[in-house]
Amino acid sequence: MAYVALSEAEKTFILHGVEEDFRCDGRSRRDYRPMELETALVSNASGSARLRLANTDILVGIKTEIDVPDPLTPEFGKLEFFVDCSANATPEFEGRGGSDLAQELVLALENAYESPLAFDYRTLCLIPGQQCWKLYIDILILECGGNLHDAVSLAAKAALHNTKLPRVTASLLDAGVTDLIISDNPYDCTRLTIDTVPLLVTVCKIGDYCLVDPSAEEEVCSTVSIVVSVSMRNGEAFLSGSHMTGGGAMHRDTMRNCLDLGLSIGEQLNTVLAKMLKQEEERVGPKRPKTVGFLK
Amino acid sequence: MLRVTQTKNTLLDGATIAEDLYTTPKDCEECFDSLELPGKNPTKLCPRSTFVRAGVLTTVRGSAYMEYGNTKVLAIVAPPHELMRASARRMNMGVINCFVNFAAFATGELESVPEREKHLGSMLTKALEPVVCRTEFLNFQLDIRVLILDDDGCLLSTAINCCGVALVECGISTYDLITASSACIYRDNVFLNPSAKEEELLRKHRGGHALAGSDNSNPTAALQEHGLITTASMDTFEQVAQCQQAGYLSPATYVKLLDYTLTINKSLRQIIRRVLTARVKEQHELDVREKAESALEDQRLAEIIERLKQQGLDEFIQTNIKEDPFVKR
Repeated sequence: MAYVALSEAEKTFILHGVEEDFRCDGRSRRDYRPMELETALVSNASGSARLRLANTDILVGIKTEIDVPDPLTPEFGKLEFFVDCSANATPEFEGRGGSDLAQELVLALENAYESPLAFDYRTLCLIPGQQCWKLYIDILILECGGNLHDAVSLAAKAALHNTKLPRVTASLLDAGVTDLIISDNPYDCTRLTIDTVPLLVTVCKIGDYCLVDPSAEEEVCSTVSIVVSVSMRNGEAFLSGSHMTGGGAMHRDTMRNCLDLGLSIGEQLNTVLAKMLKQEEERVGPKRPKTVGFLK
Repeated sequence: MLRVTQTKNTLLDGATIAEDLYTTPKDCEECFDSLELPGKNPTKLCPRSTFVRAGVLTTVRGSAYMEYGNTKVLAIVAPPHELMRASARRMNMGVINCFVNFAAFATGELESVPEREKHLGSMLTKALEPVVCRTEFLNFQLDIRVLILDDDGCLLSTAINCCGVALVECGISTYDLITASSACIYRDNVFLNPSAKEEELLRKHRGGHALAGSDNSNPTAALQEHGLITTASMDTFEQVAQCQQAGYLSPATYVKLLDYTLTINKSLRQIIRRVLTARVKEQHELDVREKAESALEDQRLAEIIERLKQQGLDEFIQTNIKEDPFVKR
């Protein structure tokens, strides 16, 4: 994690704030910082989203490619995650400094998206056993202000919602070789369903209390956090991957509390995100005004 | 999106080639049928047959070898050394680096090895961080290397167990003994300590069968949960050091599997404790013997010095010259 130097006094201040359920920035333990979400701002990508969560800034671009499916799962498409920690985020990332963090984020996302129940890989299928879509989800971390897991997963989900796959028609040629014809019309495209796509929620333990959306300073104070990947299906929250991080341990009962908190927050986050994405679509529509400079 | 289901090929005289394409998922089905199904609620919560030995290598200070059923793992812990990368420095903590390597013959499918090595290394680091007293080697890094000799499932948990023993052997201070185990659920069957076959089924097939219940046309059909949990715990204060989960589980199932693994951890802890006590005893005996030998040596030296004092130097040298039988004068 990006590293902030804090003195003992500052840490105690943060700890007391958490105990009082009134954090440094005025939030309670269950509150998120304000978020800004924008989609479809990278013209060269099939889908893109930019999320700003207070100081954390994430840009996600999704590129598509046609690939051959895995013989074991002939009806499934493929996803590939790539996280780039740009050196702008913190000076620490210069050179290969960010590679550990990037790898951790990629592993967490891969783990969360692994189950076909979490992400319906069948929607990426073109011809079972022969052709499928492969999505390259490239995540760029522009600024690092804590709680990267949550921000990255939110941005990835929004970008997936925004992804437009060109419509493909297939014609059968000789010898069983199929020829794919990709539609030229940019408006003739299919969208992905993102109802069950998981969101990562980091539940952070500071002192005796659990909280969500830790800022960079709060991350330094935490002893342990658990990253819960929440996927909603038929109105119920499911876990599609979770792990503990931060170098501490916790009791089983504390862990259950953290898990419950993460699940309920994930559920709310999911509803809000879905609502916001719908709202944006209705408000802006396909004919969005030309924006200049997305880094406002 | 258009889907073409290819059925006939005119060139091949109307024979279908589609069937060939689908043989591999069918293999998975056959593989699943060949398994012994433990049912929904396993009754026997115990680890596999386990063999642990500390101090198997003489060249490094901390080493341990563990066999967990057919899974064979070797762990090496070197004493902490100075940080290689200044950027990795933490304010008041040492840094732990874990490297997992597969032996070339450890596993059948080689494609996913680099990926799995990375994943295991990262998870192992996370699991061991809580147990090591990292405040004791500030600005130092502790390198832990794990070599997997044979993969028959439960790799992460076996690696954690083995590293726990190696850490103690190396003399690194730890807060507690760490033990780990895994459990997985697949098609309503709970497999404790899943074998490589079961894990591969879960990972590769990715619950393809599980989708049967998820069709929108039939929402009432029960959802097929699938997933793997690996839990590492420190039982003196009942702390969970790491709980890694993959797959798709409802919270209730998650807690159920977690409790199973915690119970197995408790019995594993007994085994590891016994091994370590035996190791300390063995070491103590060696020390005692060594002490006795060195006492004997001291005594002999003292006798010689005594003689030297009595006889004087010249005479002492003369009496101690022995004729070399092979050299003729």
